[in-house]
Amino acid sequence: MNSNNILLFKTLLLSTSQRNIFKYTTDKKKKKRIILAYVGLACLYAMLVGYSYLTTVGYGKFGLIGSAPALCALIISLLAFVFTFFKTNGYLFNFREYDMLMSLPFEASTVAACKFLYMYVKSLPYYLCISISVMVGYGKYAHPSVIVYPIWIILTPFIPIIPMLFSAFIGFLIARISSGFKKNNLIQTILTFAFVIFCFSLRYIIEYVFREDKLQETMDNLSQVTDDAASVYLPAKWFADSITKLGISDMLLLVGVSLVLFALIFRIVGRSYRNINSSLKSHAAAKNFRMTDQKKHSVEQAIAFKELKRLMGSTTYMVNGAMGEILAALLGIVTLIVGFDKIVAVVTQNAPFDYAMVYPAIPLIVYFFIGMVATTACSPSLEGRNYWIVQSLPITKTTLYKGKMLFNMYLSVPFMFFAILCLCISAKVSLIDMVLFLALGFVLCAFSTTWGCVCGIKHMRLDWENEVEVIKQGSAVAIYMFPNMFAVMILCVLVVIAGQYADQRVVTLVLILIAGLLSALSYKRAIKLAEKEG
Amino acid sequence: MDSKVMLDIRNYSKSYGGDKKAADDVSLSVMSGDIYGFIGHNGAGKSTTIRAVVGVLDFTDGDIYIDGHSVKDEPMECKKITAYIPDNPDLYDNLTGIQYLNFVADVFGISASDRGERIKKYADLFEITDSLGDLIGSYSHGMKQKVAIISALIHDPKLLVLDEPFVGLDPKATFTLKEIMHEMCERGTAIFFSTHVLDVAEKLCNKVAIIKQGRIIASGTMEELTEGHSLEETFLEAENEQ
Repeated sequence: MNSNNILLFKTLLLSTSQRNIFKYTTDKKKKKRIILAYVGLACLYAMLVGYSYLTTVGYGKFGLIGSAPALCALIISLLAFVFTFFKTNGYLFNFREYDMLMSLPFEASTVAACKFLYMYVKSLPYYLCISISVMVGYGKYAHPSVIVYPIWIILTPFIPIIPMLFSAFIGFLIARISSGFKKNNLIQTILTFAFVIFCFSLRYIIEYVFREDKLQETMDNLSQVTDDAASVYLPAKWFADSITKLGISDMLLLVGVSLVLFALIFRIVGRSYRNINSSLKSHAAAKNFRMTDQKKHSVEQAIAFKELKRLMGSTTYMVNGAMGEILAALLGIVTLIVGFDKIVAVVTQNAPFDYAMVYPAIPLIVYFFIGMVATTACSPSLEGRNYWIVQSLPITKTTLYKGKMLFNMYLSVPFMFFAILCLCISAKVSLIDMVLFLALGFVLCAFSTTWGCVCGIKHMRLDWENEVEVIKQGSAVAIYMFPNMFAVMILCVLVVIAGQYADQRVVTLVLILIAGLLSALSYKRAIKLAEKEG
Repeated sequence: MDSKVMLDIRNYSKSYGGDKKAADDVSLSVMSGDIYGFIGHNGAGKSTTIRAVVGVLDFTDGDIYIDGHSVKDEPMECKKITAYIPDNPDLYDNLTGIQYLNFVADVFGISASDRGERIKKYADLFEITDSLGDLIGSYSHGMKQKVAIISALIHDPKLLVLDEPFVGLDPKATFTLKEIMHEMCERGTAIFFSTHVLDVAEKLCNKVAIIKQGRIIASGTMEELTEGHSLEETFLEAENEQ
């Protein structure tokens, strides 16, 4: 890297540094928010450390500690791949300061590479938390030689590079293909969805392909699975062998391949970088509008429509905000074709139990997807620089957030109903149960909407540089998502168990009441927060 | 002072998909010492052309040369001698003004003493010195514009490209910028800028081009073009003729 590249990279980091804002801002509220964000981040890191360490301890207790390095590399690689894919579009392409950077004497490949490195450095602390915790657990149970520890620490930063590069390159290919179309944004969104869905179904495709090879037997052995996966995914093998066999060639391969791939990929990306951004940042003007009769809508409807256009106008927002809905719809369609019981059999790997036990959890299964992200959690922050528009309009904040909540209901309820109906038809659930499930689905959507709104208003952040910061990494989204997802998983188990001891319909009714109560409380809180805002 | 072609746009075209072209066969030349005004309606193709000149926007047809270097083939050579001030500067909000100016100065390799001198000179002229330690996010639009202007002047460019530079500036800053433009032009810098304010263009520019629906409909020296009429009359007449 030459000095200009380092300078750009350092400036990119500084431009989003909370420490820099803390140092120079005179706004006490902002300072307080930054401290709270740091505390939240520390808690998240602590949770990650605890979870990773306990997982390794589990491996150690079952005598599988030899697989821990491979597992560590695989988990980090998978996380790096997935998270980079969702962020690539926002970070590498179509970013706000593109004009400013490209008008300065930087090579296009330098700008792209620095943007990638920025993404890498920002996510590195998470991977370090995982890796160091696993290393500590590994040290406790495997008692390796002392040299293993510095090797582990030195190699850790290289683990996420290759998967991140692949992920960014796929994002680049999607952007490259889309840039050739007039409606490039739409094509980019569709291709991104298609790739994500392909990744989700990959596990089942592999299982189907290898069924004859008795994959099922292999799946029974957790340690074997990890080792097998590591043998397929070479960087994980290189890391594991560097640790367990102290293989110098493996260390060199991991470092060398990472660096060569980095240089190669950004040489390729650099060639089309300006072309892609030119296309993504430009909009074709048809100039063929003819004035016709216009319709009047309520203020809430108008805001909901604005939210729809905001969602559809950004690939990053669309992919993150509507992914759950698309997956839920796909789940419904696949279930209709394959059959509910068969899907349960695949997921539970043919565990011997009565699949009817799972029926009461149908709305929760669908909600697991739909509740992943609520647009209300990020849309207040997404106003960003356009906040002045809603600030200057003669509407109260209550009306504004009601409109935002209305949009999330418009978005989530139809998908929720569609998926529940598909699952119910496939499982041959009775009509009364179906109605109850639809009612529960509706109330869950209401909860997702209102709880998302509470998080969105309370943790609103308008001074973002890149929308990914509030869509993917915002504290509002994290606070909304994590408890929500964990609660759903726990509820799924509880509902299945409760269904064995009580009437399943009563269990569903109780759930409707609880979710309804939580929605009402969240709604009240959201309105109160909105009123406080003015 | 010998005058040479600093900006040479040759048969440049740009389309955003479909048949309609945002810029269609645009050709013009800006000599060193010129203050070249680029005028036209909203959506006429001014910003599209300007963004292609400064290497931000890709294009397929034609070519653009800056001091003899092709924007397509030698973008770095072009960018090193060009400065660009966009109409709505998107600067890093979380940097202070001085951090941002130092970033740009570092990119262009300006020595500590030169940058100190230039930043002080222009910051004092634009009366923004006191605010340079504050975060850009706390600046008004005009203040951001002033920082963008200072960052463009910091490396003493051979070609200065400005997109609607007077929008958002207070009257004093507008006057200061015009003075700076005159001063740079006397030193041989070529200035190419777009504007809607025809009075300003008339008083400031020695050459002007009128663009309509992506095509240059009139261009030349101010005298040639206006032939004793006001620029406003000439502009409206040219528009109507087309």
